[in-house]
Amino acid sequence: MPFFTEVSVDQILFALLNGTIYGLLLFMVSAGLTLIFGMMGVLNFAHASFYMLGAYFAYTLEPLTGFWMAIILAPILVAGIGILVERFILRHVHEHGHAHELLVTFGLAVVIAEIIKMVYGKFAVDYRVPVELNFAAFSLSGIDYPFYRLLMGGIAIVMFVAIYALLTKTRVGIVVRSAIYRPQMVEALGHNVPVVFMGVFGIGAALAGLAGAVAGAFYTTNPNMALELGVMVFVVVVVGGLGSMGGAMAASLLIGITNSLAVGSDFRIADLMAFVGMGGWADDIGGLLTMRMSSLAATLPFFIMLLVLVLRPSGLMGEKE
Amino acid sequence: MSDPILSLQHVHKSFGEAHIIRDVNLDVIPGERHAVIGPNGAGKSTLFHLCSGQFAPSEGRIFLNGKNITGLKPAEVNRHGLARSFQITNIFPGVTVFENLRLAVMRKHNLQFVFWRSAAHLRQVNEEVDDLLTKLRLTDRAQTLASQLSYSEQRSLEIGMTLASDPQVILLDEPMAGMSHEETDYTADLIREITKGRTLLIVEHDMSVVFALAHRISVLVYGEIIATGTPDEIRGNARVKEAYLGEEAA
Amino acid sequence: MKFAPLFLLISVAVLIVLPWLVSGSMLNAAVQMLIAALFAMAFGLLCGQAGMLSFGHAAYFGIGAFAAVHAMNAFGGEGLLPTPLLPLVGGATGLVGGLLAGYFSTKRTGVYFAMITLALAELLHALAPHLKTVFGGEAGISSFRMPAWGIGFGGLNDVYFLTLVWTLVCIGLLYLFSKTPLGRLALGLRENAHRLRFLGYNTNALGTLIFAVSAMFAGVAGALQSINIEAANYVVLESHISTAVVLNSYIGGVRVFLGPAIGGAVMTFFGHVTSDLTRVWLLYQGIIFVLVMMFLPRGLMGELVERARNPSAEGVAQTLGTLLMRLASLAIAAFGAVFTIEFLQRLLSPEYRADITEGNWPDITLFSYDWAPLSIAPWAIGLGLFGLGIALATLINRRVAARKEAQA
Repeated sequence: MPFFTEVSVDQILFALLNGTIYGLLLFMVSAGLTLIFGMMGVLNFAHASFYMLGAYFAYTLEPLTGFWMAIILAPILVAGIGILVERFILRHVHEHGHAHELLVTFGLAVVIAEIIKMVYGKFAVDYRVPVELNFAAFSLSGIDYPFYRLLMGGIAIVMFVAIYALLTKTRVGIVVRSAIYRPQMVEALGHNVPVVFMGVFGIGAALAGLAGAVAGAFYTTNPNMALELGVMVFVVVVVGGLGSMGGAMAASLLIGITNSLAVGSDFRIADLMAFVGMGGWADDIGGLLTMRMSSLAATLPFFIMLLVLVLRPSGLMGEKE
Repeated sequence: MSDPILSLQHVHKSFGEAHIIRDVNLDVIPGERHAVIGPNGAGKSTLFHLCSGQFAPSEGRIFLNGKNITGLKPAEVNRHGLARSFQITNIFPGVTVFENLRLAVMRKHNLQFVFWRSAAHLRQVNEEVDDLLTKLRLTDRAQTLASQLSYSEQRSLEIGMTLASDPQVILLDEPMAGMSHEETDYTADLIREITKGRTLLIVEHDMSVVFALAHRISVLVYGEIIATGTPDEIRGNARVKEAYLGEEAA
Repeated sequence: MKFAPLFLLISVAVLIVLPWLVSGSMLNAAVQMLIAALFAMAFGLLCGQAGMLSFGHAAYFGIGAFAAVHAMNAFGGEGLLPTPLLPLVGGATGLVGGLLAGYFSTKRTGVYFAMITLALAELLHALAPHLKTVFGGEAGISSFRMPAWGIGFGGLNDVYFLTLVWTLVCIGLLYLFSKTPLGRLALGLRENAHRLRFLGYNTNALGTLIFAVSAMFAGVAGALQSINIEAANYVVLESHISTAVVLNSYIGGVRVFLGPAIGGAVMTFFGHVTSDLTRVWLLYQGIIFVLVMMFLPRGLMGELVERARNPSAEGVAQTLGTLLMRLASLAIAAFGAVFTIEFLQRLLSPEYRADITEGNWPDITLFSYDWAPLSIAPWAIGLGLFGLGIALATLINRRVAARKEAQA
């Protein structure tokens, strides 16, 4: 029974590596979302749009400044846009409640996507890994593993360490964390809470922008990438629990790895049913039961989410609502 | 003494390291008005949360009318005959006073899944709501949005909604909070009236109200009940005086 | 709102005689407006009344659409499901889908609920191309409207009346539903689900049922669309369908009963009218939505109702005068913005970019004039008018605020 196309340890290793890196990227975006939600109570629907903007900005800047400057400048530009959004749009609707803020970010996501389509066209743009970085890091059983993937993973890890250190070890971090729990108290102590909010929003946006700038070169850069990634980030957040960074990390890795493993698999549900002698019946029914895991791979995260909802509604590590 | 209608047996509640409720034993006599008093932070709200099902006890059991309700969810506890009010008004702000009460009353008549009849034609439900409105003296505010009521009107509505499901045991959590003297007196009368034939467990800080209303008082300090008795017994209890009432006699 | 029943009666009367009042293309748009209105009303039940924001409502619209197309092919217009009764199967499948999806979605509330609904819709959208027997793959499934009950259903008029009857009946049913105990409990869910639990209600079950009812009417709307275009394609499950109903409903106003319907109709109308004039209609839709959320948070109908209930202290003449001036300044700003956006769109389009030669940027035609992109003229007009309009509006707002303060 073919669980995988060819069961080879190296291929499973590759899949695990790919999955981990994809999971780290997911986490980079969902960490920013978690930060903003924790601080402002608003789910920023446009967060994945910041991811997309990061990719497009980097694509635009690369011919002008070279790759490395592009992926440094792009997140900064995205942070700037995030700050403008917070200052001039979100702050205006704050008084109408969280649902309204959510809706405004939703509208912003639409507007950003349409502007991107207008400026760059409806199809993917040719944002590619620069030639000097496009080599194999190592190879196993004759298959090369791209260095750039490792670079993406490395950048993600460096970023976490930096954010973790910033939040837990520095004064700024303590102020931010306090502002999440007791904004009025922090304000009474003399800190400028609106500026803190703007800053955190900007940093969250920058994280997403950095992820986009780096990942857009490797994966595709197109106007739909915000939606595709956005839905995945939401699944991560539902599965992992929005209150919890640890949960978001666990969920990101879970989804990344299962996705990678599934993509290489020819397994079908009908094969499982053959175990109990219902293989023939399942083959006749067809449809979902005879779809190969590789085709279903994109839908696996949703099924994981449904499972979590039934078994542990508040998420793997989430707080109860 | 007849069987207690609400009984807490060796109830503990901890949140992580914090041991909020420590070995509470409380038997509430059917038909009595029983007050729970104690300093801030003693755990009175937590006690109510435990009785109403919001939290499950870490240890111990809770019985309502002989049935073990330990660990049941709030909706189930309510259906077994216990209703609670909230210290911070917990009503439906965007609908009328009438609607607030009607939503509370409908449950008792098992109407929640009815989609084939108009709510306006539920004669018995509407009569009960009118009745409640009269008791709460909110009849001429019936069509006002609940969010536009004055604070004490909202507190009355809060009590009314607790009463609407016709519970055997009512828990009132600081119903007088934030009220003026006049409003307090009025609300005390209201409570006396609506708890006829029912059992009341009330948390209150206003000592004059407590001593006037309660048949018995339990004193909760740092999660433990240090005394239970009639108002006179509590007034005379040295431990209570020391822990809570301080130098002043109530 | 004593005039409300009169307005309604007049509107229905106009709708009934519409085929004799407007052209064929407008009537076609009217059918789409009705469908959008019904879809929005279904959404409004869940979102406006029960307070549950669904970002994946296209799923139930789509399920209904495909059910109808399959039924059209299976029954050929007769038997159990003659053409006029086809929307029933849309409703039935929407209901079942809603029960299933609602069961999962209502396990969480608030933003989690919204995310789950989006994920479920994306799940269906991802699966659809693989389930070719149900969803017909890339090409979708097509069918024909067959005559039934002595009516041909071949022409636009028949389709229009079928859609009109179903839309009016469904909106009527939604109105009646809102008056029932379950309908009132929807409001309870929105206002304070927490308290409902302490009153003994199973809020999960309530939420699931209301979700299912909403999905049912969404399915009817989907079926009506399939009947109209005689086809269903899995693009109907795409996120922009879910997005559109959210935008439309909130622009109309979800807290007023007919708000979503008005929003759906108005936005569909604008889309129809402008789809030949601009390629970036979706951008305008998004911008309008953000602006409405920022400045007219209750939506068009909501703000109207609010002002009718609480008229300002000023007299009618002055209120009208202020309103007209505001509209005028906003119109100027809007013209400037549209000019700029349309100019940019043409400038950035692939066709134009192909036309650019060494240092020579051809003129762009807009509103029957030619504009040189490198000259100051188009930018001055576009951005200038926009700035002027905003400045005027701000001025008017300041004067109104000063007047109010003086009166206070």
